Amino acid sequence: MTDEASSFSYYRGTKEPSFATRTELEAAKLFDYHRIAWEYEPRTFILDQDERGNIVEAFTPDFFLPDLDLFIEVTEMKQSLVTAKNRKVRKLREKYPDIRIKLLYRKDFVRMAQKYGL
Amino acid sequence: MTAPLPSAISLCEYGSRDERIGEIYLDAAAIDRRVLELGAQITHDYQGQDLLLISILKGAIFFMADLARAIDLPVEIDFLAISSYMHEHGETGKKAIRFLKDLDRPVKDKNVLVVEDMIDSGLTLHYIMRSLGLRRPRSLEVCTLFDRPYQRLVDIDVRYVGFEVPDDFFVGYGFDYRQLFRNIPHVAYLRLEPRQPTLF
Repeated sequence: MTDEASSFSYYRGTKEPSFATRTELEAAKLFDYHRIAWEYEPRTFILDQDERGNIVEAFTPDFFLPDLDLFIEVTEMKQSLVTAKNRKVRKLREKYPDIRIKLLYRKDFVRMAQKYGL
Repeated sequence: MTAPLPSAISLCEYGSRDERIGEIYLDAAAIDRRVLELGAQITHDYQGQDLLLISILKGAIFFMADLARAIDLPVEIDFLAISSYMHEHGETGKKAIRFLKDLDRPVKDKNVLVVEDMIDSGLTLHYIMRSLGLRRPRSLEVCTLFDRPYQRLVDIDVRYVGFEVPDDFFVGYGFDYRQLFRNIPHVAYLRLEPRQPTLF
């Protein structure tokens, strides 16, 4: 996937993104297509720590769109993944109320494709 | 004397016979009522002013045509066409949204109302609004027939909304499935095949 990544025009990160899934790659293409600047996994949020301050749970959203001040987490349609990511997003919102984050589902890509000429 | 035209419903009945088309979500009468309400509201809001309606091809053309006739003001119309995401990625190698068809005339100092069929993520509309905003219209607003605000990624102020709709596939009244069914006079659910249409 790195070959495709190098062709992005609106990527604003410093090192080349290494996408974990095909859906992430397609999300990146979608942002690029819409001429929206994006970064890949630029920040990790601590969600839970133990008494000693060790990190118990953390969350790294897939994308940050600096112009929109918005983090994006993309997810496949598999219910277990959706449930787990929804939980993390909810927890992040509770812990960091000033952070704007949204879940982008795979089916959303399908719908946009349907609308614009497939 | 000209004979009255048959109603749209009697002109196009295949929507009830094609097995790919499911139950009616909104019948033609319900759409008509809401379009008239929107037209009245827009007429009130732009009283004494000219108005340019800009439709995004192709989905919004039926809504645009009905809405324009429901507005009791001097209305100008124009059209934009946007490049297809799949086409750009799959065939040409170009990878950015662009206008396949731009407006015919400048919008500077005009009241512009962008007429959409559906707003979901707002990504495409964001690009359109940014581009039109740079052309310095007097005002720039949005009217959409259908809205899915719960899918919004980009915050856009949508002034006129016909209906908030659920997360389903629709056909008819401009909405298509692989370019078919736009001409059905009502909006119906699409019966998806076992292998759903996918982007990749």
